Amino acid sequence: MPNRKRTLEYVWIILVILTIFAYLLGYLKLIGTSLVGVLLLSTFIKGQLVIDHFMGLKTVKLKYRLIPTVWLGIVISLIAAAYYLPVAAVH
Amino acid sequence: MSKSVTLKEKYPPGDFAIWIIIYVELVTFGLLFAGYAFSRRSHIEMFNDSQLLLNQTSGFINTLILITSSYFVVKAVQSVTGMRQESIKESNLRASKWLLYAIMCGIAFLVIKFLEFYHIFGEGITLSTNKFFMFYLLLTVFHFMHVLLGSVILFNIYKKTRTEGYTPDDHRGFETGASYWHMVDLLWIVLFPLVYIIR
Repeated sequence: MPNRKRTLEYVWIILVILTIFAYLLGYLKLIGTSLVGVLLLSTFIKGQLVIDHFMGLKTVKLKYRLIPTVWLGIVISLIAAAYYLPVAAVH
Repeated sequence: MSKSVTLKEKYPPGDFAIWIIIYVELVTFGLLFAGYAFSRRSHIEMFNDSQLLLNQTSGFINTLILITSSYFVVKAVQSVTGMRQESIKESNLRASKWLLYAIMCGIAFLVIKFLEFYHIFGEGITLSTNKFFMFYLLLTVFHFMHVLLGSVILFNIYKKTRTEGYTPDDHRGFETGASYWHMVDLLWIVLFPLVYIIR
């Protein structure tokens, strides 16, 4: 139990740090083509931390954990594709 | 050579019906997220210019608020799932304390979002202003309603903890409400960088 308790605190701290990172990218107008990929990766990590540790799916049978994880992966990939693919490729 | 085996729970926490709702909500928002991202491709300048009217700081503060509220809800869940017959009173009391913090976070989120909408509508912006604001309003108003509903659910769970309504054998309803709240958090975690930051 003490370990699990500490894990939650670490998860919260990582989520806060990644959120500050995202905000600074926008606030300091640093967001550019390459950093969008980093931002999306950090968003995936944040989402997975919520799925595993807050929703509690890490200790549940894999299929239930996979549903939101696959959803998150698809959504992040689609956002990345919309950002990075040349415009002509979708028309 | 010893091999550690972690036993996995058969079902996710809470009532199984809430997970069907959660999966449907994720798909619905996922389609809106993809719709936003692909619409942006055809109107990049307009999306970037419109985005400047949003307050990134309020989006950032709201992200911190939701993450923290989710943390409080997990602490509340731990209080009831770890309770024993002889600690029902203390466990419910501890859970109610964490829930109260989470509800206060939910209210803070709603107030900040309301002020943002007040500013946006005050600028004369509506669903038909342009595609950016159509998606912005669809996503954020829809999400706002989820936070509102989630706060009401947490408040009802809070009331039950005040009457020591949860026992070691009966706390499924608690976990059901908590799972819904974490879904609201998960959706905002994707929404914030997509709508407020990426340009």
